[in-house]
Amino acid sequence: MTAVRNPTDWKSEAMRKRIAGRYAAERRFKFAGLFAVVLSASFLAFLLVTMMGNGLRGFTRTEIALKVDFPASPLLLDPKAITDEALANANLPMVTGTVAKTVLGEKADDLLSPTAWISIRDAIKADPMILSRTATISVPASTGLDLAAKSKGSPEMEAEVARLKQQGILSTGFNMGFLTASDGTDPTQVGIWGAFKGSLLTMLVTLILSFPVGVATALYLEEYAAKNWWTDIIEVSINNLAAVPSIIFGLLGLSIFLNLAHLPRSAALVGGMTLALMTMPVIVIAGRNAIKSVPPSIRDAALGIGASPVQVVFQHVLPLALPGILTGTIIGMARALGETAPLLMIGMRAFIATPPGGITDPATVLPVQIFLWSDEVSKGFVEKTSAAIIVLLAFLLAMNGLAIYLRNKFETRW
Amino acid sequence: MTGPAILLLLAGLGAIAWVSARARALRLQTVARATGRRDAVHSLPGYHGWYVALWTLIPAAIFLIIWVNVAPGLVTQSVLADPAAQSLPLDGFSRSAILGEARAIASGNQAGAFNPLSQGLVEPYRAALDKYGIAGAVLALVLAFAGGAFAFTRIRPDFRARTRVERLVMASLLIASLIAIITTVGIVASLLWESFRFFSMVNPIDFLFGTKWSPQSAAMGYGNDDAFGAVPLFWGTIFIGAIIAMIVAIPLGLMSAIYLTQYASPTVRKWMKPTLEMLAGVPTVVYGYFAALTIAPALRDFAVAIGIHGASSESALAAGLVMGVMIIPFVSSMADDSIAAVPQSMRDGSLAMGATTSETIRKVLIPAALPGVVGGVLLAVSRAIGETMIVVMAAGLAANLTANPFASVTTVTTQIVQLLTGDQEFDSAKTLAAFALGLVLFIVTLLLNIVALRVVKKYREAYE
Repeated sequence: MTAVRNPTDWKSEAMRKRIAGRYAAERRFKFAGLFAVVLSASFLAFLLVTMMGNGLRGFTRTEIALKVDFPASPLLLDPKAITDEALANANLPMVTGTVAKTVLGEKADDLLSPTAWISIRDAIKADPMILSRTATISVPASTGLDLAAKSKGSPEMEAEVARLKQQGILSTGFNMGFLTASDGTDPTQVGIWGAFKGSLLTMLVTLILSFPVGVATALYLEEYAAKNWWTDIIEVSINNLAAVPSIIFGLLGLSIFLNLAHLPRSAALVGGMTLALMTMPVIVIAGRNAIKSVPPSIRDAALGIGASPVQVVFQHVLPLALPGILTGTIIGMARALGETAPLLMIGMRAFIATPPGGITDPATVLPVQIFLWSDEVSKGFVEKTSAAIIVLLAFLLAMNGLAIYLRNKFETRW
Repeated sequence: MTGPAILLLLAGLGAIAWVSARARALRLQTVARATGRRDAVHSLPGYHGWYVALWTLIPAAIFLIIWVNVAPGLVTQSVLADPAAQSLPLDGFSRSAILGEARAIASGNQAGAFNPLSQGLVEPYRAALDKYGIAGAVLALVLAFAGGAFAFTRIRPDFRARTRVERLVMASLLIASLIAIITTVGIVASLLWESFRFFSMVNPIDFLFGTKWSPQSAAMGYGNDDAFGAVPLFWGTIFIGAIIAMIVAIPLGLMSAIYLTQYASPTVRKWMKPTLEMLAGVPTVVYGYFAALTIAPALRDFAVAIGIHGASSESALAAGLVMGVMIIPFVSSMADDSIAAVPQSMRDGSLAMGATTSETIRKVLIPAALPGVVGGVLLAVSRAIGETMIVVMAAGLAANLTANPFASVTTVTTQIVQLLTGDQEFDSAKTLAAFALGLVLFIVTLLLNIVALRVVKKYREAYE
């Protein structure tokens, strides 16, 4: 028995509606995809714009052109005998306060940064002869005044800004101190140099430890290891290490490096060792892929003309795989540079106001510095935190850019 | 003699050994060639150089490593034998404090002594340090010379220097690959050991199933019995990492992957894919700051405006949303890979039957790619629950057992940071609890990864 079906009437109202509906669904679906991409990208844009908006102000500071009448000031300094010691004994902070009061009025203490005297000291150091005349010296303004001048501060400070602007002694300058100073208690005097140097030392330790070990492991696994349970264990360990949450590495560093081996707390050495354990699997995995992509014909040719297996690998395979390995290493190092949690575990969150001199000195790193500043109550730290974030992001971008450049320049398609 | 000086001296000796051994091997080669026996020298001169240099350096280096660990004990012993040490107090703590101070002064790390007893010990200490320092340096140099001389006498045309050097290279490659295993063992051992100590103070059942978390009260001496119930932490972790973050990341990641692989032009794909991947490259501390500074206050204002009670400025929603954004690239690249792995013939077949692109994607590609997508989501979850800085900065510390996304919850990683960054005494249940939480976190992420990889692998085999 055969049922004869009517041929579909594609022109009918129902069919036309149905097709229109399907096309509408297609458009909706495509639009949803586009929407997802745009939304994700705009999150990134929003993040960057917010950080830029807050952070660029952190690179500038408000300055007051302070007219200092040195002969009339209570400063007892001989222009011919300006030494560091004499300057230290001259009680410049107090003198600065007195001078400021005569020039700016009674509220001068609230207008000047606690570090304003340093500018005066530097000015005297640069030219001792200004002690015999009246000089105009730019000194940093207080946090409250700084905020009021840049964006929004308290009403009194806004009034002060208006008053000082009228006198024409308020200006905005590049905050050199932000790049050369270290952590501090007052937002006008903090800088990132200490944290930056700590990051540099930590990354150095990480690189020295993780790169040779990572490359050697990749070479062993890819070129020499026999297929047996032992090799399987090594492979499984590496893949697991690559997926372990970073904070677990911090716990490892705390209990092994600090409590068992008694290495110095808060030091770049321990931070670097902890991050090296984290970075090594990344280098191994990237290294193995790079080594795998070197064609076997190269190995066969080298073996054919009498090279030993070690010579084949070190003189032929490794140089060809090196760009790929370096790309992976830079990406791994960029990740380590942005890592915070494991370093908190090993005590790199201490307040450190002097840059570290070596890898065993107490240090902090850029991301941890960002974390510490984000916890500060003072409003002036918001722009400093964002400014530090801009510096960190710039470095990460540069490193990733370098990795992409290396990959494009040296990648060989066999 | 100082450490760097010895190392420099040894390096110099190694270089001299390399040069002279190589020169000798070169002479042997010239002689052999002159007599017409071209194949008489087995190894290239450079290998002879390395062989002798390694024999110069390695024994001395091994000795130095042992010496650095042994010497302080010997120094202390000889100081204690000094008559000035007879007046030292007998109890261990003040004794070692005085000795430590004397050592610091003797080695120039400290200017003056607080304790008069240690001042008297400075001279014996300095003498002992000098004595053992010189002894160690001399012994290391003697070993270096002996090793080098022994190796040098072995240079002969038929000596297989290359084989020996290569054996060492292979051994060092093997040792390097063991470091991964050692690290894994180190993680497991340290977590297990500290957790074991914790569980000898707190019942594991109470820890895993208790609903009250207040380690502060335990630290203040109210007893450990019901202060370490970790269920609110587990809930907070799942709520933020596996629920809120995934509600953001799965649709956005999946739809981004679909759009970029199926609809977008090559140019758009070339630019947008790296852009989205930048989301994964932003340090988590930046996300945390962003969440705490911008997202959290906005969400709180919103919650207050629509009249939700208990809205906190540190909300689960703020942390979860930002974490979800961070996870988008993980989901999208895993989805990308698994969609690309679906055979083209299946897609062509569906299109040929008259299905629209979206119908093909929804009814053919996604079902076929589902195991890969699920595996990717599991990996993303394991990543999200191990994430620390976002939740530390944005999720708060209150251990609430609530499903209100505007309330403050706390997570496993937040509490680990919290417990370990205060004042630390290493035998209190409070600090040890961090390791127990770490163990749970380690096990869960490991299981998630194993399951995810298995799912992905199984599915790949089905098509290849």
